[in-house]
Amino acid sequence: MGTENPGHPSFPVRPLPAPFAAVPPTGTPFSSSDPLVGHEASSFRPTPPTPPQATGPFVSSGPTVASDGSGFKATAPPRFNDQSVSFTPTTYIPSTGGPFYRFPTSQFPSTTQGPPARAPGPPQVQPFASQVSSPPVSFHQQPSSVPMGSPPQRANFAPPTVNAPQSLSDSSFSGPRPSLQPSFTPVDSSYSSARTTLQPPLPGYVNTQSNAVSQVPTMPSSFPSYPGSYVPPPPTITSSFPAHQGGLAPPMSTATPPGMISQHPGLPGGIMQGLAEEFRSLSFGSIPGSIEPGVDLKALPRPLEGDVEPNSFAEMYPLNCHSRYLRLTTTTIPNSSSLVSRWHLPLGAVVCPLAEAPSGEEVPIVNFASTGIIRCRRCRTYVNPYVTFTDAGRKWRCNICSLLNDVPSDYFAHLDATGRRIDLDQRPELTKGSVEFVAPTEYMVRPPMPPLYFFLIDVSISAIRSGMLEVVAETIKSCLDDLPGFPRTQIGFITYDSTIHFYNMKSSLTQPQMMVVSDLDDIFVPLPDDLLVNLSESRSVVGAFLDSLPSMFQDNVNVESAFGPALKAAFMVMNRLGGKLLIFQNTLPSLGVGRLRLRGDDVRVYGTDKEHALRIPEDPFYKQMAADLTKFHIAVNVYAFSDKYTDIASLGTLAKYTGGQVYYYPNFQSSLHGAKLMHELSRDLTRETAWEAVMRIRCGKGIRFTSYHGNFMLRSTDLLALPAVDCDKAYAMQLSLEETLLSTQTVYFQVALLYTASSGERRIRVHTLAAPVVADLSEMYRQADTGAIVSLVSRLAIEKTLSHKLEDARNALQQRIVKALKEYRNLHAVQHRLGARMIYPESLKYLTLYGLALCKSTPLRGGYADAPLDERCAAGYTMMALPVKSLLKLLYPSLIRVDDFLLKRSGDVKEFLDNIKRLPLAAESLDSRGLYIYDDGFRFVLWFGRMLPPDVAMNLLGQDFAAELSKVTLTERDNEMSRKLSKILEGLRRTDLSYYQLCHLVRQGEQPREGFFLLANLVEDQIGVSSGYVDWILQIHRQVQQNP
Amino acid sequence: MAVAWSLLFWLLMFFMNFAFIVSSFYQLLCLLDLEGDHMNPFEASAHINFWVMKEFLLHGVFCILLLVTGHWLIFLVAVPLASYHALLYMKRQHLVDVTEVFRNLKGEKNLRLFKLGFYVVFFVIVVFNLAIATFEAVLHE
Repeated sequence: MGTENPGHPSFPVRPLPAPFAAVPPTGTPFSSSDPLVGHEASSFRPTPPTPPQATGPFVSSGPTVASDGSGFKATAPPRFNDQSVSFTPTTYIPSTGGPFYRFPTSQFPSTTQGPPARAPGPPQVQPFASQVSSPPVSFHQQPSSVPMGSPPQRANFAPPTVNAPQSLSDSSFSGPRPSLQPSFTPVDSSYSSARTTLQPPLPGYVNTQSNAVSQVPTMPSSFPSYPGSYVPPPPTITSSFPAHQGGLAPPMSTATPPGMISQHPGLPGGIMQGLAEEFRSLSFGSIPGSIEPGVDLKALPRPLEGDVEPNSFAEMYPLNCHSRYLRLTTTTIPNSSSLVSRWHLPLGAVVCPLAEAPSGEEVPIVNFASTGIIRCRRCRTYVNPYVTFTDAGRKWRCNICSLLNDVPSDYFAHLDATGRRIDLDQRPELTKGSVEFVAPTEYMVRPPMPPLYFFLIDVSISAIRSGMLEVVAETIKSCLDDLPGFPRTQIGFITYDSTIHFYNMKSSLTQPQMMVVSDLDDIFVPLPDDLLVNLSESRSVVGAFLDSLPSMFQDNVNVESAFGPALKAAFMVMNRLGGKLLIFQNTLPSLGVGRLRLRGDDVRVYGTDKEHALRIPEDPFYKQMAADLTKFHIAVNVYAFSDKYTDIASLGTLAKYTGGQVYYYPNFQSSLHGAKLMHELSRDLTRETAWEAVMRIRCGKGIRFTSYHGNFMLRSTDLLALPAVDCDKAYAMQLSLEETLLSTQTVYFQVALLYTASSGERRIRVHTLAAPVVADLSEMYRQADTGAIVSLVSRLAIEKTLSHKLEDARNALQQRIVKALKEYRNLHAVQHRLGARMIYPESLKYLTLYGLALCKSTPLRGGYADAPLDERCAAGYTMMALPVKSLLKLLYPSLIRVDDFLLKRSGDVKEFLDNIKRLPLAAESLDSRGLYIYDDGFRFVLWFGRMLPPDVAMNLLGQDFAAELSKVTLTERDNEMSRKLSKILEGLRRTDLSYYQLCHLVRQGEQPREGFFLLANLVEDQIGVSSGYVDWILQIHRQVQQNP
Repeated sequence: MAVAWSLLFWLLMFFMNFAFIVSSFYQLLCLLDLEGDHMNPFEASAHINFWVMKEFLLHGVFCILLLVTGHWLIFLVAVPLASYHALLYMKRQHLVDVTEVFRNLKGEKNLRLFKLGFYVVFFVIVVFNLAIATFEAVLHE
């Protein structure tokens, strides 16, 4: 951002710290200052001097000069930015805070100039604002950071309502006010999500207070700080204000209802009130009273709204890339390694470099053409919004290594009075956290490769019998015209059983020529040039081939599978170009190199030290092959279909190290599963893909990424080789501190993905993100991102199953959660009598449940009998690549009741989908008179209650309604109910296209199907030896309390 | 005669030991190059794996020679490493895993550093014995 520029030069390192410091002050000042602080605008100014005192407790950074005022302003600013308001600079100036946020806008100038001239307090603040960030963080959290411990959180929330009025009206905006109000409303809406959680606390407040007496005094003081960010529209404010003083309750009541409802959709109004209080206190971070047997199951936190991203962070740092691309496990980076060691959860990031952006938010493409891409000379960082321009625009300072670089003459632009480049609005790379650069020839080792799809298809008897071959041929044919990269796309086929069949598809032929190679020990490729053809030239030959493929082998009775030799042959054909290799495998490879044996059905191995060996590739051939494939930019997607053991552990290795994925269709039958295969295969073929990619994530001095987790291969210590990447792949990494103490106040991360687009253009996608450094553990907890943590933890757990027993992996996971909560408890145990309450930060309220869900997920659950080995391994490979949102949905699927809606005469499906009520995943939620959809993102299970009105089943299933449901497929029938249901399913599918959810029908009491499809996946219930939700919480709680 | 044999034996030991040192040093160098991004994992692991089995076998021969020639004390010192090699081989972990080199880099490096130290100690012993043997041979004549 240009805005920063001004700030930076003047405050080299310092500025950052100062801003940060500002944060802490907000918290502290409050406590020191009277509750009244909030009220008076005047208080702000005076405060500046005071700040120093405040800082002490909070932050280590001494310099913190920030005043209350600064804190306030900070809060307010975010909104301002959003709606660059009409306020005139003059109005701002009076208010210390205002200018900061606005920095992007023209007003900034005033601030920039200001710093030097101004009193000590303000200047520091400004840099902060420009840096962007920390202040906001502090707002929400600050309250919590206050010694209060669990109460803090409430405090935070409550303040907003109260403060808001004050900050707005009194302090900075007296003049501008009218204009402001309108602008604010939008803000509210954006905050709404945050709000819902926040508000509940208020009502509960009273109760809680009784518990913790110490808190009471602090509370008032904390109010002032919050307000900024959440200010409600003025009208409410006034009313709330008085109330606030007396007792928080009144203001809250107004606010609460919406929040509550969203949280507990199912609850009737009356109960809600009571429950609401419980819930609030829960969300505060403490389970009220004792967590003894009487735990209210309904009051336990559940992620019924799916993945909630911490959006306060995004608002704090508007220049950051969107969280869909990059998420940190905690958005504050600890400043010392001792702090890291106390943060028992993983510290790292989850990157999904090509995540699908909604239309209108696409990543802008920048072509520097003649200039060449602007990068830091030393650390090779790409130019980004956080770099600062100095020396009248002739130099720029790298935000990651702070080296001063020259600005190439072609890229030069003058700076305006505020130090921003005058061409800022035409430079997306300086205003957006995510950009895509068009890479010049220096970034190519060879001409950009064409998109290349190669199919390796098993045509042994089982492939024919299951109908797989037919579906695959048909699907490929239907996708031929939609393959990306026309007219350069290349395509080729090999089929194999006990021999290998090559197909010459030269464009001059009318029919493909088949060549059979039966020497498996010494593979050679006949006609190496014509096996891989340009699709647009050979379109008709390829079409003819796919038409005849099923019939060619329909009488094949060969049961062998020469998978290894066929793979080698495919490799030999492809290695000149690279590309994507799709393998369709139906049986266990039985011939030639890479043959595997049946090893998965030995019960005795489970529970022993050799158990893990079943989950790693048996033959080193697969790892070696995977490495070779990666080296030549070949990505492998494995489609496996067998009803018997196929050793997915070995086959999946090919996908794991080549950036591919594993699709597993156990017991595939085209009549039942054809639709799923068809959708997923066509998605695989037609989605936008990045080819021959490498990815690197850079970060500031003092920290380093140490381990990477996901489907890829490391090409050097920090370079991920990704032969093919698409929007459905995410990668996780952990970081560690290299220095014992970080001296910077902000850490920057930059993900760069260099790839070849299907169009043949070489591009670099760059995501940049800034995060504040903190010295306070509670701040880290407050800013934790459950989604990213769960994603990382699950990858670590799955990796652990590759070298340890399942039980060890589960125990390690549980220990991690226990340690984290224990540390949190210790943090607050000093100031509060916690008693037997279980406390956890608001941000991690779902962590325990996700932990439980993870222990019950397919890769980790139970023992031998609980999941077939192949399914376990396939799920493991899938979860290693899954983006955060899909993973969370898989761990805690949605359960929706639909019979009421279907029976309703009217009812708009769209409206129903918009207001879906997700139910807790427990058998209790299932009413035998109901019809439920269970949706984990990979499949639907439609559960028919035993007492479901027969006409519903009749309408949906027609004549089959009494038949055994395993043989029935759901098709749309000619009645309103059936149409509605299929619209609902369609709508649910559209929310995530990466996998196709096949609908499985299950009737209540129909075992073992019901158990297999649904009951085993109700994570809150006790299944076998695994504990239910309440037990789990109690178990964790007990462990947390042990030897504190 | 015996003296000449002894000299020959220690000379052989000397060259074997020299080979061990060269091999471990080379492997260590490959790992360092890999870490410093001067070599890609494919090459590095191929180079390392090329030596691994040869080193194991040679070390086995080395031990057996010590055993049959009656140098039991030195044999006892050498045998733990040989059995460790055998163990690795049986667990199929003797080769560097190209797909996970970076994850195991630290361990592999430490192992080779340790082995290098071990070989150097042996080298000293062997050189010492070689010197004695030479001295005796010279005296004998």
